[in-house]
Amino acid sequence: MKKIILVLFALAVCSFASVIGLDALGEEQVAGGMASTAGRGYAGGAKTGDAEGLSVLNPARNAFDTKVVFNVNFLIEMVSLENHGDNFGVNNITMPSFNLSFPMGGFGAMGLSLWQSYASNLNEEVSNGKNSLETTIEYQSSVYEIVPSYTFRLPVIRNFSVGASAHVVMGNSMRKISMGPNTEGLSSEDTWAVSNAEISDYVDGTWEIKNHPAYYTAALQYRGHQSSFYFSYTTPHTLLNELDYNFRMSELDTLAPTKRSREIDVPAMLAAGMNFRFMKRNNVMFDIAARGWDKDIENIGGSFNMESVTETQKDMLLALGFQRDGSPMFYDPYLDRVTYRLGGWYKTWYVKDVYELGGSLGAGFPLGRKGTTLDLSFQGGKRFADSGRGWDEIFLGFRIGLMGVGNWGQTR
Amino acid sequence: MKKIFAAYLLLLTLVLSACIFDSDETVMAGWLSDQGIPGGYSVQTLSVENLTPLSSEVFLDSAPSLANDRAVLGKAANISHDLVFDIAFYDSVFFADLKKSDSATAYMALYVLSPFYSSKSYPSDSLPLKEDLTLNISWKLDKGASKSFVDSIGDISDSLWLSSLSKWKADSSVDTTVSISVSAKDSVMKISLPSALLTAMKELSRACHLQLRLSAPEAARTYRFYGAGTSLYPKLWVSFPKEKSYSEYDPFRMAHIVSNKESCSDCLVLHGGVYDSLVVEYEGAPIMKALSDFYGDEFPYMADDGDDVRQTVVLAQMTFARDDSQGTSELGLPIQVVVGSYTDSAGKSVRQMEAYKLNKSLIASKGHPNMVFYEGDSLTLQVTYGLRDFINRARDGRTFKMMMRLGYPVLQPKDSSYSDHVTSKKDTSYVFFSHFDHARYDFSSAMKQPSTLKLWLANKRGDK
Repeated sequence: MKKIILVLFALAVCSFASVIGLDALGEEQVAGGMASTAGRGYAGGAKTGDAEGLSVLNPARNAFDTKVVFNVNFLIEMVSLENHGDNFGVNNITMPSFNLSFPMGGFGAMGLSLWQSYASNLNEEVSNGKNSLETTIEYQSSVYEIVPSYTFRLPVIRNFSVGASAHVVMGNSMRKISMGPNTEGLSSEDTWAVSNAEISDYVDGTWEIKNHPAYYTAALQYRGHQSSFYFSYTTPHTLLNELDYNFRMSELDTLAPTKRSREIDVPAMLAAGMNFRFMKRNNVMFDIAARGWDKDIENIGGSFNMESVTETQKDMLLALGFQRDGSPMFYDPYLDRVTYRLGGWYKTWYVKDVYELGGSLGAGFPLGRKGTTLDLSFQGGKRFADSGRGWDEIFLGFRIGLMGVGNWGQTR
Repeated sequence: MKKIFAAYLLLLTLVLSACIFDSDETVMAGWLSDQGIPGGYSVQTLSVENLTPLSSEVFLDSAPSLANDRAVLGKAANISHDLVFDIAFYDSVFFADLKKSDSATAYMALYVLSPFYSSKSYPSDSLPLKEDLTLNISWKLDKGASKSFVDSIGDISDSLWLSSLSKWKADSSVDTTVSISVSAKDSVMKISLPSALLTAMKELSRACHLQLRLSAPEAARTYRFYGAGTSLYPKLWVSFPKEKSYSEYDPFRMAHIVSNKESCSDCLVLHGGVYDSLVVEYEGAPIMKALSDFYGDEFPYMADDGDDVRQTVVLAQMTFARDDSQGTSELGLPIQVVVGSYTDSAGKSVRQMEAYKLNKSLIASKGHPNMVFYEGDSLTLQVTYGLRDFINRARDGRTFKMMMRLGYPVLQPKDSSYSDHVTSKKDTSYVFFSHFDHARYDFSSAMKQPSTLKLWLANKRGDK
């Protein structure tokens, strides 16, 4: 474990993340950002089983579970931004979600997730050569959701389950752009007054849902002998980002900030998926999720010549994956007990003319005999920004998930 | 094996980061530019001419203050300076001797503040200072007998004692004339105390509390002494010539009381070495109009909650007309004008002393612009904090208010360090003279003339 932490720390020092949509919502953590799901290209929302854990898109899945599952995920993403042959890297490490689900036999199953659904993260210093002060740009915005869920199998048609979850939104957002003066417009006898005068355009605020405690997801799951399906619907909602704006010389500045709120109308989302099992432990799976954004998103701040809105488009995920489940028999060879995953996805972002193609490779390594699994997944792909001010991004993602499965609360 | 795997993973990550995800600052700057983020904020200057005060008023804090360090007696610049000594006696032998003696005399010995008078900055040709000083000596004498009485005097806090001096009502007072001669450093000024005081003390037997006040409102100048908290503290001597003996007592604290002797109540006069201030208030509308003309936007800002952060003041300075003939100074040195502004603190207006940014090329050629008694005909004061706050919250119709007072005399008006410092030769370079000049400066005519506000404004509006 110490070595894993050491490696994580080392990766955090030199790791990277997307800068598309920074001023809107940031990067979406698809499907809760679970390492196991990401390993098969975000497909597999319909796959049931104790080793799957909670799904934020399909709260009906856990009705078939028999064991308590705890799952925590880390993401390290490396992104290289490209434009006309130029490129540079930016960095990030996050914990997109952790999940806890516990079955209650005939009373269904409950779950609780903490999900960082959207995040903007950037911290860079750039020397512009015109003055001695560097430009520092810093974004730290996270839309966090606490997602309690409940699901149960239907009384007569036991292959079906229904589930629902509430997404209680919280989190904070901060953007700080610090820079020195551009003295080009000043006469030489006036420049003394602004020497070393660094100023920060500073915005910070909080996230919540407007006029309601949460938004909701309802799902229907079918588990067949070989095929499983799910369908889910997530309600539209309005995110409220209450912000304080300042244009300050230091953190001790006593200027009164301007208070302003931005409202982001997030449309309903439909998601569906299927899983087909063949040759006992092999699965192919396909998922689709779509959200028809129809309004522009007001940006966190239209300072300087930055865009005041982010134009949107239909946000859609098409995911195709394969998984070979590991053998549950602890006496089988270790490599046979490992779960192997492979997948690919195509995603249109909520940001207009941005789409993403990616592939992934993953594995779940059982730790001991108790069902604990270490999931690793490597992802790679490209985000294309075809218009506007965005740059293309090549990304590599490295996700680590730790899943604990136990008999907590169960009797023989 | 696991260690090798971890090390390999770490190395692989570093290599990947270094090779594939290289951060090139030039490219990053290009990305910032594409996002509409400039390499530096735009800054412009704006001058608002012809500002005249909505109101201007001087305030003098005449509350007694402690003079345990430096003490002043006399009158200068239409301000008189009194001294009060707080002395406790607990000595039955002394009172017995005093009662027996018919020739006892008493005097106060005050040690002249020699670093001031012997300084190179003090005009030595004005020494020796000679004057037949008309002095009013008044006192309050409280009788006691026990040690607890004496202890109770020491238990009176300084603030309580100073407060009691505001309502000074003497038991008795005597006008006298003392011949003064301060000729060189280490001079002692000897002030004979009236026999009436000793007569009153003869009625006592063991302990007493003496509060002795010296006033010289007709003095030709002020005299500076060491205070009660220094090694050269004042002493009260009682001499018994026939017995060839004497007793010495020293005040355990001293107070300084100033009173304003200005005849012109409407004049805007500031004095050196006292707690007085000139508060000037400006209407907001002309500044708002200038900003509105400059940016083409509405001022004051009324959208959202009305706190304006569309731009910010990087530096602001106010320039006043100056006529040094309207003032007098003791030392002939330039004197800094200290400035503060009234800013908002959690809904309450508080006075905030302003920072002073150095315009080094101007200082090197013409000296600091914030001095009086210096060449030139203008006074420029920086009021950045005040203007930042004012423009930020102007929606409520507030005014811009600033405060000024006379500071220390300046020894090196063209030194841009603006603080005493150690030179490369390890000598101390004194920029300020460490004693206040009991100067007088009348700002009445300056405040009647229009002043100019110059703003350096950082802007985050985009290109239109």
